[in-house]
Amino acid sequence: MNIRKAVITAAGKDQRSLPLQTLIDRDGEQRSVLGVLVGEILSAGIEDICLVVWPGDEGSYVKAAGEVRGRLHFIPQAEPKGYADAVYCCRDFIGNEPFLHLLGDHIYLSLAGRSCAQQLVEVAMSESCAVSAVQAVREGKLRYYGAVGGRRLSDRQRLYLIQKVLEKPTPTEAELELVVPGLRAGHYLRFFGMHVITPAVMEFLPQSSHLSQALAKLADKERYLAFEVEGQSYDVGLRFGLLTAQLALSLQGQDREEVLALVIELLATRERMRRQGP
Amino acid sequence: MSSKLIAIITSADAHVRNQSLEAVCRGMSLPEFLEECQQLEVFRRGSQNLYERVRALFLVYAIHRFHLPTVLGRGGRGLIPFEGYTHLLHRRFGEAIETFLDTQQASGPSDAISSALAAAYYALGFQTLAEQVRRSVKSARGNQWMFRMGHPSDHPLLVRPELLRKSGNGAFPILRECTPVRMDLSHSGWSDIFFLAMDYPEGARVLNVSIDLGVRGRDRAPRPPVEAYFRIIDEPVLKLASVDLGATVVISNLKELFDFAKDYLGLLKAAVIASGIVPPGIEGSEESLVELLARVVKPGHGIEIVSCVNNIPKGSRLAVSTSLLASLISVCMRATNQARHLTGLLSEQERRIVAARAILGEWLAGSGGGWQDSGGVWPGIKLIRGVLAGESDPENGISRGRLLPRHDILGESDAPPGVRPGLQDSLVLVHGGMAQNVGPILEMVTERYLLRLESEWKARQEAISILDLILTLLREGDIRGIASATTRNFFGPIQKIIPWASNYYTESLIQRVRSEFGEKFWGFWMLGGMSGGGMGFIFDPACKEAAQTRLQDLMCSLKSELSSALPFAMEPVVYDFSINEHGTLAQMLDGEAALLPQGYYSLTVPNLVRIEPQRLTPAQRVELLTFGSVCRSKPEYGGLVETLFDRLVPQSDGRTYSTSELLSLLNELGFDHAQHEQIRTDLRTGRIGLAQNLLPSNVEIKDVDESDVFDATGWFQVPRRSGIEKGKGEAERSDSYYRECKERGEYALASGQIAVLTLASGIGSRWTQGAGTVKALHPFCKLHGRHRTFIEVHLAKSRSTAQRYGVTIPHLISTSYLTHQPIEEYLRREKNYGYLGPLLFSPGRSVGLRLVPMVRDLRFLWEETSQQQLDEQAQKVRDSLRAALVQWALQAGEGNDYVDNVPLQCLHPVGHWYEVPNLFKNGILKRLLEERPQLKYLMVHNIDTLGASVDPALLGLHILQGNALGFEVITRRIEDRGGGLARVDGKVRLVEGLAMPHEEDEFRLSYYNSNTTWVDLDKLLQVFGLTRDDLDSRLRVDEAVRNLAARMPAYVTLKDVKKRWGYGQEDIYPIAQFEKLWGDMTALPELKSMFVSVPRLRGAQLKDPAQLDGWLRDGSASYVESLVDS
Repeated sequence: MNIRKAVITAAGKDQRSLPLQTLIDRDGEQRSVLGVLVGEILSAGIEDICLVVWPGDEGSYVKAAGEVRGRLHFIPQAEPKGYADAVYCCRDFIGNEPFLHLLGDHIYLSLAGRSCAQQLVEVAMSESCAVSAVQAVREGKLRYYGAVGGRRLSDRQRLYLIQKVLEKPTPTEAELELVVPGLRAGHYLRFFGMHVITPAVMEFLPQSSHLSQALAKLADKERYLAFEVEGQSYDVGLRFGLLTAQLALSLQGQDREEVLALVIELLATRERMRRQGP
Repeated sequence: MSSKLIAIITSADAHVRNQSLEAVCRGMSLPEFLEECQQLEVFRRGSQNLYERVRALFLVYAIHRFHLPTVLGRGGRGLIPFEGYTHLLHRRFGEAIETFLDTQQASGPSDAISSALAAAYYALGFQTLAEQVRRSVKSARGNQWMFRMGHPSDHPLLVRPELLRKSGNGAFPILRECTPVRMDLSHSGWSDIFFLAMDYPEGARVLNVSIDLGVRGRDRAPRPPVEAYFRIIDEPVLKLASVDLGATVVISNLKELFDFAKDYLGLLKAAVIASGIVPPGIEGSEESLVELLARVVKPGHGIEIVSCVNNIPKGSRLAVSTSLLASLISVCMRATNQARHLTGLLSEQERRIVAARAILGEWLAGSGGGWQDSGGVWPGIKLIRGVLAGESDPENGISRGRLLPRHDILGESDAPPGVRPGLQDSLVLVHGGMAQNVGPILEMVTERYLLRLESEWKARQEAISILDLILTLLREGDIRGIASATTRNFFGPIQKIIPWASNYYTESLIQRVRSEFGEKFWGFWMLGGMSGGGMGFIFDPACKEAAQTRLQDLMCSLKSELSSALPFAMEPVVYDFSINEHGTLAQMLDGEAALLPQGYYSLTVPNLVRIEPQRLTPAQRVELLTFGSVCRSKPEYGGLVETLFDRLVPQSDGRTYSTSELLSLLNELGFDHAQHEQIRTDLRTGRIGLAQNLLPSNVEIKDVDESDVFDATGWFQVPRRSGIEKGKGEAERSDSYYRECKERGEYALASGQIAVLTLASGIGSRWTQGAGTVKALHPFCKLHGRHRTFIEVHLAKSRSTAQRYGVTIPHLISTSYLTHQPIEEYLRREKNYGYLGPLLFSPGRSVGLRLVPMVRDLRFLWEETSQQQLDEQAQKVRDSLRAALVQWALQAGEGNDYVDNVPLQCLHPVGHWYEVPNLFKNGILKRLLEERPQLKYLMVHNIDTLGASVDPALLGLHILQGNALGFEVITRRIEDRGGGLARVDGKVRLVEGLAMPHEEDEFRLSYYNSNTTWVDLDKLLQVFGLTRDDLDSRLRVDEAVRNLAARMPAYVTLKDVKKRWGYGQEDIYPIAQFEKLWGDMTALPELKSMFVSVPRLRGAQLKDPAQLDGWLRDGSASYVESLVDS
C-alpha cells in the first residue's frame, strides 16, 4: 500500500482559528500550528495535502502556511455538517487511495527518532490496511475522545486489531466494549488524532455524523488496526492547550534550557514576592 | 475412613452430587458423624471453590443442628464458651468454629456445643455466599470503574447538554422514566436467588410479565406504577424526594449521601450511587460533593431526583422497590450519557446494566431479592434464565453460574396474540393486606437446596417441570390450564419446599373463593416469595368483574376476622392491571409540560412559600410561577391549593393519634396513674433502667450441681429425624421411681386434682415483631394437615389427656387488655375448638403505659450489651438508623408517655409474674375451687411452650416431692438467651438475663428455664400468706398480692413497637416498659421449689418465627403432633 495524500480538517466552528496560532517549534523557528502539521506530514513522505476549511478561510490559511503553501489544496465545507462530512468533502481529492488524516487543532510530538506520522504511515504500508494512532488513557479522560476496543496482535509490538469504535464512551460502555487485554485496569486506547484511512470509509461517511461512527463500520468491513505511536498529541483547542503544546515542543527542542530557566525564574520570583509580603 | 459426604460435593456426576444428606447419613453412629464433620472441616478449609466450601459448611451445620442431637444420648448437657459466642457476635465465624471445636475436643460432644457449631457454620455459609455475590456485583463489567473512582477530578460522567438547556420560562427540563412492575408466573421454586442461580444455573428459570397497575376504585386506568424524575437545579446540592413516603432531603456532602437509614430516602441515595453519579468508590474520601457536581453538571448546579410509585402498597410481591431502584438508576444513567438514548426505550445491553446496578443498589441499601425483580425494565412476557459461567466471566472457576441471567422476551410464537388479553380478562390481582418480610424464606430455600434435602429437591424438579408446562400452555393459549398449573405449583412444590409460603389467611381465602365461584374459579397464583400480600386469582372471564368486587369483600371480611391473629399491614385492595409491552421508557418534559407529580408540590411548595421572595433562586421562582399556573389550568392539579394551605400551618398530618381515646382506655383498664408517675420519675432520675436491672456485681453466680436438678429426660422418647427411635428411654421408664411417679400422677389426674393455666396475656413481641397481634391466635403451622393456632394446640393436648383418663381438665387462659377480647371472640367462633372441659379466662388486672426510652438505656442496649454485628453494609445501615432513633428519643422527650401510635400499641402488659396472682384477684380460682374442691395442682406454661402437656409422671413427681413450685428446665443451646438456672450466692434459683451482672455468667449456666411450672395451690397460697378461705376476701387478696409484688424486682425493658402508616409502610421504635417475672419467685427464701430437666421437645419455646423452620424439621413438630389428636 502506498500513501501519497493527506487530509487536515479545520472547518469546525470553534476550531477554524486554531491552525493559525503561532508557536516556536523544536528548531526555535516561529511557525503556525498549520506549518507544524504540514511539516509532520512531509516527514512521512507525503506531499499532496488537502485542507478542509470554513468557506472563506482559505486566505488566512495560505498566509499561515508560509513557504509550504504551494503544497496545499483547499476544500471548503459548504455547510457545518460535522466531522464526518468534513472528511467526506475530500472524496474527489482522495479518489481511490488510502490517505493520512490529521486534525487541524492538534500538535503531534514524537518521542522516537521518527515523527508520529512517519511511524504510522510505515505501519499502514507494511500492514496494508487502515491504521489509527492510539494512546492508552485512564477512564476518567474518555469523555474527550473517540476510543477503540480490540485485541493485541500476537508477535507485533504496539499493534491491535480494532473490533469496536465508540465516540466519547462512558466508562460503563468502555468496560463492556473496549477492554483490551494487556492494558492496565481502567485504561483504554483512545484516538491520537491521526489515522491512515482506506477509501472504503467514504461509503460510511454520509450516514455518520462523527468520523468514529464511520470507522466503527470500517472495522466491521475490513481489517483495521490501532497502533500505539511513540509520541504525544496535544489538543491546542483545550484550555491552556496552546501553552501546553508550546511547552512540550520547547522542552523537546533546542530551547529546552532557556524555557526551563524561564519557568524556574517565574516560580522563584513568585515565591520571593510571596515571602516578602505585600 | 473416606468421607461419603465429600463425595457428594465433589463428584462430577450430577446424580451423585445431587444426593441428599439424609440419604447418605442414614443410620450413622455418633463417631461416624463426628468423623464426617472433621473431614468436611478439613475439606472446606482447603477448597478453593466457593460452592464446595459452602456446601461443606451447610452439611456440617445440618449434622450439628438436626442429626447429632438425636444420637448424643441422654441429657446432652454442656457449656458454650463465651469467647466463641463473642466471635459469633462479631462475625468472626472462623474463629468461633475453632473455639467451639476446641471445647468439643476437650469436653466431648454435647447438645449445647453442637447448637453453637451449627449456628457458626450456618452463618459462615451465608457470609461466604453474600461475599461472593458482592464480589460478582463489583466485578460485573460496567460496574468496575465505579469502585475505582475516588476523586471528583477523575469523574468521567457528564450530564447531557439537553438537560442543561432551560426552556422559555426559565425552567430546566425534566427527564421522566416510567417503569412497569413484574409479576411472576413461576419462579421455579425461588430459583432466582443469586446464590442458587450461581449454584444450579440449569434450574434457575423465571417466567415473568411486565405490568401496568392501578388500584381498583381509586385510579382511572392502569399505568406504569413506578416513576423516576431527574432535573438540574441551580444549587450545588442533591435534592431527593419520595412522593409516596412524603419525604425530601437536601444533601450537601458525601457523608450524608452514604447515610442510608437516616431518613426514608435510602433507596434514592442507593440509586444515585449505583448509577455512578456519585460512585461507590468515593465513599469515605472526604471529598466535596459540590466539586463533584460542578464536574458532572456544571459549577453552581446540582441535581434533583424525585420518585413516585403512585401509592402502590408495600408487600405487593410485584417487586415495586426493585423496580423503583431500577427506574431511578435508568433515569440517572440516561441523564449522564450512560445510555445511547436520552428518551425512549433502553437497549438490551443497557437493561442488563440497569439490572446489575439495581443489585448493587440493593446491596448498598441493605436489602436484597432475586435477579428477576428488575424484570419490569424489560417489556412483555419473558423467560429469564440462569447462565453457565463462561471463560471470560468473572464467576469462572468460582461458581457454576453467572450472577446475571439472560432475558428472552416471548414473541408471538411463544405467546400467541390471544394470550395477553386472555390473561388480562381472567386474572384478578389483589393485595391481601399482609406485608411480611420475605427474607427468611429466601434463606430457608437456599439452605434446603444447597443441602439437596430429598423431598425439597424433588419438589424443586417438579416446580421446574411446571414452568415448562406453563410455557407450553402459553403457546397453546390455554389460560385455564395455566390457572391449574399455578394452583398445582402453590399447593404442591412451593409448600413442600417452604410451608411458610402459605398461611391460614391465604388458604381460607382460596377456600371461600372456591366455594363461592365453583367451576368459574380457575385457580390461584402465588406472586413473588410468599402469599398473603400480592396474589392472583384466575376466573372464567365472564365473571371477572363480579369476582373483583367479591374478592374485595371476601378479603376485607376475612381480614377483620383474623386481624388479631395475623399481622395485616393495610386494608386489602384489588388492582386493575394490563401487560406492558415497552418495559422502562423515558420522556423529556419541557417548558409548560416540565411538571413533577402532584404530590411533589404539596411537599415542597410550602417551604418555597416561606422563603423571602428576594432569596429565591431563579429556578425556585420559576417553580412557584409554574405551580401557580398549573393550578389554574390543569384540573388534576386543582386540589393542590387546599393541600398547600393544610401544610403551611402545621397540624394533624394523619400520623398523630388522639390521646383522648388512649386516656379513656387507660381509665377503663384500671391504669394506676400514681404508680406510672413514680416509674417515670425513677426512670428519668436513673433509679431504674437497663443498667439498674442487674444484680450487684459481687453476687456469685455459678452453674448448678448435678444433684440440684432432677433429670427426667430419660422419661421421654426422643424421636429421630427419620421417625421415633424405639427403645430409647425404655430403661428409664422401667425404673421403679418413674412408675411410682406415673401412678401417683395418673391418680391425681383421674381424681380431678389438676388444672392447666396457659399464659396468653403477653403480646409476644419477638413473635409478632411489635405488630400488636395476639400470638395465641396465630395459625402458625400446619399440624395433621391443618393450620393450628397456639391456643388450639394447647387445648388439643388437654383434651387428649383428659380423654385418656376419662376426666375433664379445667383449662384456664390468662388474658390481658390486649388479648382478652380477641381470644374470647376467636374461641367463641371456633366453638372452643371442641374442648369439653371447663374453659375459663383469667383477665389481667394490670396495665402499663409505654414510655419514650432514655437515650442512656438505648446506648446501654446497643453499646454495653453484646449485639450481633451485621455484615459491613447492613451494619452501616443499622448504625445510621440507631443514630436516628437517638434523635427521635431526644425530640419526643425521654421518659415521656409514648402516645404517637394507635392506643393499644401504647399500652403494655406488666409481665407474667402477675398472672398466677391474678387468679386470686379476679375470682377465677375461687370459682374453680368451689366447683372442684378436689383441685390441688396447676400446670402453668407459656403460650409458646408447645410441647408442654399434663404428663402424669411429671405431675406425680411434683406431688411426691412436695414442693410449692416445680420448674421444668432444659439443657441450654446457643439460642437460649435470657437467663437460666443458677446457684446465686449458694441458692439454687432462676435468674433472668436482664439481671445478669456479667454477660459471660449466662454462659456458665447449663440449664435454661422453660417456664413450665407445676404449682401446689395450697402451698403457693401459703407463700402469699393466704388460705383457700381467704380467696373470698378481695381486700385480703389484694393486699397479699401487693405485698409479695413489692418484693419482686421490676425490670425495665426496651421492646420493639411497630408503627404503621401510609400504604403498608412500617417503622419500628424501641419503647421502654417495665415487667415483673415469674421465675423470680424462686429467689424467695421461704418458697420450696424443685427443678426438673425435661427434653427440649417438651420444654423449648417458640419465641421467634425464625425458629419455626428448625422446629418443624428437628422433630419438635412431630412430637407435638403425637400429643394432639388429628
